[in-house]
Amino acid sequence: MISDAVYTLLFYAIAIITIVFALAVTMSRNLLRAAVYLMMVLLTTASLYIMLDAEFLAGIQVLVYVGGIVVLIVFAVMLTRSAEMLDRPPLRRKLSAGLASVLFAAATIYIFWTSAFPIAQNNVAVPPNNTEEIGLKLLDYGSGGYILPFEIISLLLLATIIGGIVIARKTPPPEQPFTTGGDLKGEADFDAPHTQRPETISRKHI
Amino acid sequence: MIESLSLHKPHIEHWLVLSAILFAIGLYGLLSRRNAIGILMSIELMLNSAILNLAAFNRFVAPASVDGQIMALFVTAVAAAEAVVGMAIFVAIFRHRRIIDVNRMDLMKD
Repeated sequence: MISDAVYTLLFYAIAIITIVFALAVTMSRNLLRAAVYLMMVLLTTASLYIMLDAEFLAGIQVLVYVGGIVVLIVFAVMLTRSAEMLDRPPLRRKLSAGLASVLFAAATIYIFWTSAFPIAQNNVAVPPNNTEEIGLKLLDYGSGGYILPFEIISLLLLATIIGGIVIARKTPPPEQPFTTGGDLKGEADFDAPHTQRPETISRKHI
Repeated sequence: MIESLSLHKPHIEHWLVLSAILFAIGLYGLLSRRNAIGILMSIELMLNSAILNLAAFNRFVAPASVDGQIMALFVTAVAAAEAVVGMAIFVAIFRHRRIIDVNRMDLMKD
């Protein structure tokens, strides 16, 4: 009984903290601060996953989101000098966006509150070997297994690595296949406008 | 006090309402921000609330299985991939045009 009370208290406290930080993410003018608030939102959501008995999910959340995506966002904010330019949306846009999101929230909450979900009747406890079950199911190639999506996701991640490098790299290294040639002229020389790069130019003339 | 608290343990509707509120906040950021990176942060918020939904359904509808958590893992991986490609595109655009204001990225509009 005490544990149930603590659970309820914790749920509402963490929910309020999460909502406040999420509001701070969308309303903060400085994008670097917004990234830090986003990190706080992701951490509190990880604790919500632990309350839902999804410990592995919480760990992945901290590893991938907090350790990866937030760091990436901070890097992007710094590389694009977004922290210097304050983001001030006009009032009309704020009002219309607020109206749209409030309407969406009202409709969704109404639907959630009035529909009946097929709840598991005897509120059975989650089996303690949750993580082991996830690992077995991810590599299971029988019926109900997830081996095919697992492989597709790994292919997607590989494509993402290559795509990220190709899109964001500064200059194509010379004498390498698969260079597009599109970023040879103007953009590569943006920072140093008068540098000649004899390798690429000679290659083009040949 | 303790009795009433223990009787009002959060049910599936409470979790779903929380994730709906988070999703709506992300939608507000998506519609009102002008900086492209701010928009991407709002998209991360929305994906996060979707994952919360999946975990809540897994806990309350089918607590003995882990299918919802596996789908949440897939959503996490896709979100990471999307963030990487998005950031690469924004950095490339910034190098060309020195600005990443979405109001002024209208080259394909006319």
